[in-house]
Amino acid sequence: MSRFIARRLLLLPFVALGVTALIFSLTQLLTPAMRASLYITDPRQLNGLPDIIRKYHLDQPVYVQYWEWLRQVAHGDLGWSETAREPVLAAVQGFFPATFELAAYSFACILALGIWLGTASAVRKDQIIDHISRFTSISGASLPTFVWGLVLLMIFYGHFGWFPPGRLGLDADLFVRSGRFHPYTGLLTVDALLNRQWWLLWDAARHLVLPVATLTYFLTATLVRITRSSMLETLRADYVRTAEAKGLPRAVVVDRHARRNALIPVITLASLLFVGLLSGVVITETVFNWPGIGRWGVAASQQLDIPAVTGFALIFAAMLVLGNLCADVLYAVVDPRIRLR
Amino acid sequence: MAYLGGDDAERRHAEGRSRRAESRQRAVGVVVQRGLVVAVAMLVAVLMYGTGARGAASESVRNPDSLVLLTYGDPESLDPAYAYDTTSDGVIWPGIYETLITYDGSVLSRYVPRLATAVPSVANGLISKDGLTYTFPIRQGVHFHDGTVMTPADVRYSMLRFMLQDRDGGPSWLLLTPLLGTDSTRDSKGNVVVKYADAAKAVTVEGQNVVFHLNHPYAAFLSILSAWSFVLPEKWAAAHGDWDGSAASWTKYNNPKLQDRYEFDHTNGTGPFMLQTWDRQTKELILVRNDHYWRAPAKLARVVIRTVSEFPARQLELQRGDADVIAVDRPDQTKVTGIAGVTVQDGYPTLVIQVMHFNQKIDSTANPDVGSGKLDGNGIPPDFFSDVHVRRGFAYAFDYNTFIRDAFRGKALQPNGPIIQGLLGYDASLPKFTFDKQKAIAEFKEAWGGKLWDTGFHFTETYNTGNAARQIGAQIIKDVVESLNPKFKVDIRNIQFSSFLQVTVEHKGTLYALGWAADYPDPDDFAQPFLASNGDYPKRNGFSDPRADQLVKQGAETADPAKRAQIYRELTKIAYDDVPGIYEAQATQFVVMRSWVHGWYYNAILPPLANVGFDFYTITKQ
Repeated sequence: MSRFIARRLLLLPFVALGVTALIFSLTQLLTPAMRASLYITDPRQLNGLPDIIRKYHLDQPVYVQYWEWLRQVAHGDLGWSETAREPVLAAVQGFFPATFELAAYSFACILALGIWLGTASAVRKDQIIDHISRFTSISGASLPTFVWGLVLLMIFYGHFGWFPPGRLGLDADLFVRSGRFHPYTGLLTVDALLNRQWWLLWDAARHLVLPVATLTYFLTATLVRITRSSMLETLRADYVRTAEAKGLPRAVVVDRHARRNALIPVITLASLLFVGLLSGVVITETVFNWPGIGRWGVAASQQLDIPAVTGFALIFAAMLVLGNLCADVLYAVVDPRIRLR
Repeated sequence: MAYLGGDDAERRHAEGRSRRAESRQRAVGVVVQRGLVVAVAMLVAVLMYGTGARGAASESVRNPDSLVLLTYGDPESLDPAYAYDTTSDGVIWPGIYETLITYDGSVLSRYVPRLATAVPSVANGLISKDGLTYTFPIRQGVHFHDGTVMTPADVRYSMLRFMLQDRDGGPSWLLLTPLLGTDSTRDSKGNVVVKYADAAKAVTVEGQNVVFHLNHPYAAFLSILSAWSFVLPEKWAAAHGDWDGSAASWTKYNNPKLQDRYEFDHTNGTGPFMLQTWDRQTKELILVRNDHYWRAPAKLARVVIRTVSEFPARQLELQRGDADVIAVDRPDQTKVTGIAGVTVQDGYPTLVIQVMHFNQKIDSTANPDVGSGKLDGNGIPPDFFSDVHVRRGFAYAFDYNTFIRDAFRGKALQPNGPIIQGLLGYDASLPKFTFDKQKAIAEFKEAWGGKLWDTGFHFTETYNTGNAARQIGAQIIKDVVESLNPKFKVDIRNIQFSSFLQVTVEHKGTLYALGWAADYPDPDDFAQPFLASNGDYPKRNGFSDPRADQLVKQGAETADPAKRAQIYRELTKIAYDDVPGIYEAQATQFVVMRSWVHGWYYNAILPPLANVGFDFYTITKQ
């Protein structure tokens, strides 16, 4: 398997190359002057627009332009974001931890709830749990995120005052900025743990509840349906019937024989779901005033902040590739029949 | 048999294993289920406890030493010589930077000393009889936030820096005009034309006094200095790469871009609050109390200004008491009325006008809002709005009453030009445009030699993100204009405020919504930026009328109020004839805050941060 992973990792730059080529081709729909903004790392350069067009050969053939662009990216220079008022790379580094934290917790909840509910729904087909599961799936998939988010916000913050929007309360925010708090990872819950600030951990967790709940409700639906159908199919398989015929308890048959095999399509979905989560938190971040990459992405798109949007797309494309790699590796872990070579 | 027997034994053994496994599984299941029940019970208990605490807290003042203000605009720059948008100005003044004199609370016609020790007047001899020399005795013992002592030399440096930095679309004209008789340090080609010696002579230090030598008598000069004479330390600025005050180097620091200046995101004023953080990712500013302030320290320990673009989140934070003041647009006013513990104070007359601007010289380079850039039905040419019939067509196509009803809940006036009610020279009897589709059609049919009606047009109008009133205005234009002719297409795009300003300064706006808040309460502050060809908006929009230029100049220099009033009436007529913009509304304003906020007073000149301006120094929470 290690050879497979190494080979896939070696392929990564080439896949990324293809993705960037695609992104770059799309930018060709813009005028040379618009594309020149990719090379502007400081607003002072705006006056020298014609010089930048010449310098970076923006009036040259596409392959020449692509090479120039790649050289810039290779130097870690993704341009200047007017929206963030800082270089794109710095903005990504700043915004990413908040989004990652939100996505990671949501992903854990989606996975746990989705697989459990999907399995229970298949095992107890047409029983009450199945009906609840299907209703939840349909309503979760059909209710817009912003509506669900606002409803949750109004009930659990507006009415009960339990889970506020934003990432931290005022006291916690001031403490984090006081110099007495060391931001090791940028993930506030993890940093609070490492700093042994339990009250801050509690505050950060309270702020996570509603956006995580919104994303979980919205995205669990697909996972539940896939898990359910996959489980139903597996439960009808000969080897499952053999296991039952041998007299094995239902729980053992379900847990060890059926679910493990039924998880294969779920893994494909789940690994892509995580990447999707990272890019799909746009609305959730906006509704809950979460200072993440999604909210920035919305602002950047609205303002035609081309360098920000390009950098944004490039980073998520790379993450998609890594997500797929994770899925391939997990196949082999879950299904012993699959050998990665 | 042995084989069978062995099989039997194996089966029994297997059954035994599976029973044990089943029993283990059940035991684990029971433990897990019980664990879950306990965990859920604990969570509920904790949450209920938390709610109890919250419930109790909501009755008392939340965060008693901090004022939390939620708005939807983010500042462009904290440099007092660069900042020229209300959010930036509202952050830095009067909290961080102070002026020589200022307005007496809510009263705009009366001044009180601040960094000066007296308000100049002819009577006290600090204004010369010819009205050309203003002397300000500078207060001693005032410290900047870095602990250094303020000197008259710092005051002089700050005034010169304010004038000579002179960035495109910035506030420098406010001092350049009365002191040097020009509104810019550069000519139309961008070449520096002002001489340092002239500027140096205009502001001098005489002992503990700073003396201003005016180019011409200017009635509004004290009013200008009351809001635009911020002081920062010369040595601190020079030590951080800014101008060192020398004659030889000033041009190097002329017309900087946003981040050229260290003061873009660092401050060092004399005010009651100091900048602690400007986090551009969380869009949050934190000001902390200056305990060494020359007056008694402020009551509040800190002020938190946060950008929350979604109204529901702002509303809920106010409702829960986590925010003390929030920005609310008129259409949303009913949503905050009647909330327990929240006060809505309404009816404050503003010196603010909402205008849709026509850019008559659009820069179509890399401009996504002009479509094809030609008059072919798929775009507009750069000079599309230079035809007065186009402008009149749009002015007649704007439904003023609907806009005022929907965007301001009826609480606004339709102005007849940039000289709004409350200013000298305002005359309600002067003509103004009315909503009239037939007249709009007639004007459009005449536009571009009759060609426009057949070809049609397609462009994008813009407004700043989060401003519901401007969004409504933009939508009204789109709906009405598109209903006149199927070949007329108008799209709408919203842009974050700071970037939006940049777009308009770079002449890339088409038809865009942008208001004007008074810099100082004088008609000159509206006539100059709206109608003088070197004014803020005419420069952005390529508008020019020599008659207007002459009248604006006369109005600024004339001392007699009656003569001035007549001049501004003439200018209002010119605005009606030339239609440089659609004068949509002059609003009255309201403020939404928690009832525990005290000490706020209304001043129409303080830059609005959350509907209105704030002097944080006087505010307490109790």
